[in-house]
Amino acid sequence: MKTHESTVDQFDAEALKELRPENQLGKTALVLAAVCVAAWFSNIVNGSPLLDALPGMLILYVMVIIGLVIGRLCPFYLPSVAWVSLISIIATLPVFPGNGWIIAQLAEVNFLAVVTPVLAYAGLALTNREFSMFKQTGWKLVIVALLVFTGTFIGSAVVAHVML
Amino acid sequence: MDLKLLLDWRLHLLVIMTSLFSEWIGIVRIPLGPGTLLLLPLLYAFIIGVLFNPHLFSVMGKVIPKPVSHAAGPIILIAILPFIAKFGSTIGPAIDQIIAAGPALILQELGNLGTMLIALPFAVLVLKMGREAIGATYSIAREPNIAIISDRYGLRSPEGIGIMGVYVVGTMFGTLYFALMAGYIASLDILDIRALAMACGVGSGSMVAACSAALAEAVPAAKDELLAFAGASNLLTYATGLYVSLFIALPVTEWMFKRLKGTRQEVRHENS
Repeated sequence: MKTHESTVDQFDAEALKELRPENQLGKTALVLAAVCVAAWFSNIVNGSPLLDALPGMLILYVMVIIGLVIGRLCPFYLPSVAWVSLISIIATLPVFPGNGWIIAQLAEVNFLAVVTPVLAYAGLALTNREFSMFKQTGWKLVIVALLVFTGTFIGSAVVAHVML
Repeated sequence: MDLKLLLDWRLHLLVIMTSLFSEWIGIVRIPLGPGTLLLLPLLYAFIIGVLFNPHLFSVMGKVIPKPVSHAAGPIILIAILPFIAKFGSTIGPAIDQIIAAGPALILQELGNLGTMLIALPFAVLVLKMGREAIGATYSIAREPNIAIISDRYGLRSPEGIGIMGVYVVGTMFGTLYFALMAGYIASLDILDIRALAMACGVGSGSMVAACSAALAEAVPAAKDELLAFAGASNLLTYATGLYVSLFIALPVTEWMFKRLKGTRQEVRHENS
C-alpha cells in the first residue's frame, strides 16, 4: 500500500504540472519540431512525398505555436488544445483570406498518419507506475473503464441521433 | 525535463521507423458477426512502442534507455497538437453544416454523462466496488477530471484510486478501444453516422483521433463531414467538460452511488 501511495503522490506533483506545454514555450517549440518531423515522415506512406507535404506541416507547426502563445497569455484557463483547435478553425473558415491555399496545403497531410507517431511515443512512454498500477487495480477497473468509454460514446450518440 | 532527453535522436528515429512500418501495414478489416473490426496503423504503432518499452523488457534499455522513455511522456502531449491543428482545419470549411447541427451538437454533450449509466451499477452491484466506483465512473478520467477529484477528495482517497485506474486503462487502451468500438458500431448501421461522429468528441485528443478516424474509414464518402463534427464536438467538450463534470456529473454520480449502495445493502439483508 505504501509504495502505491508514493506513486500516486509522484503523479500528483509532477504530472499535472508537466501537462501544460504552454508553460515552457522554448522547449515546446523544439520538441514540437521533432514530433512534426516524425509526423512528416509517417505521412510518406499513405499521404504525400516529403516536399509536397512540407508547406502543410509548416502550417500545422505555426498554428500550434500561435495557439500555445495565446494559451500562455490568456488571463483565463482553457486547455492549449482548445486554442490550437480554434486557431486552425479560424484559418480555414471561408471568410479567412487565403483559406483555400491553406486547406489545399493541409490536404497533403494525411489525417491518420499524424496520429500514428503519437501512439508510438505513447507505447514507449509507459512507465513502471502504469504497468504496476495496472496490475494492482487489475481486471475490475479494466472492465469498468471499458464500460465508462462505451457509456459516454453511446450516450452522446443516442442524444445526437434523436436530435438530428 | 532535460532537453537532451526530449530531443534524443534514438527516440525520434525509433518512432519514425515504427510509424513508417505501421503505415506500411495499413488498415486491416476483420469481419466480426454483423459488423467489422478496423485495425488502424496507430494500433500497431502502440504495440510496437510497448514492445520497445524498457520498463517492460529491460533488454530494450539498450535501444531506449529508461530516462529517454520517461521523456516520451510529456512529448505525447506536444505530439498530439499538430494533429489537433489538422483536425481544426476540417471544421472551418464545414462551418455551415456545423451551425445547422448546432442543437444536436450542444445537447449531445449531456451524453457524456453516460459514463456512469452502465459502469456505475455494474461496478457497485456486480463487482461490489466501494467509493472507488465514484472516481472511476463519473467522467472519462482525463487530466481535467483528475484535477477535480484531486481537489475534492485527494488522489490517495478511494475516489482517487478509482479515477487513476481508469486514467491508466484509458492511457493504455482507450485509444485502441475507441477505434475498435466506433468502427464496429458504425458498421452495424443502427445510429446516424453523424451522431456517432459527434459522440467521438469525448475530450481526449488521441481518443477522438482514433474514434473519428475509424468512422471515416468505415464511411469514406462522408469523411470530411464526420471529421468536422467530431472535431467540433471535441472542442465543445474541452470548453464545457470541466464544468459539466464538476457541477452535474459528480453530484449525479454521488447520488446514484448512494441509491445503488442502498439497494445492495437491502439485498444483502434479505439474503441473511
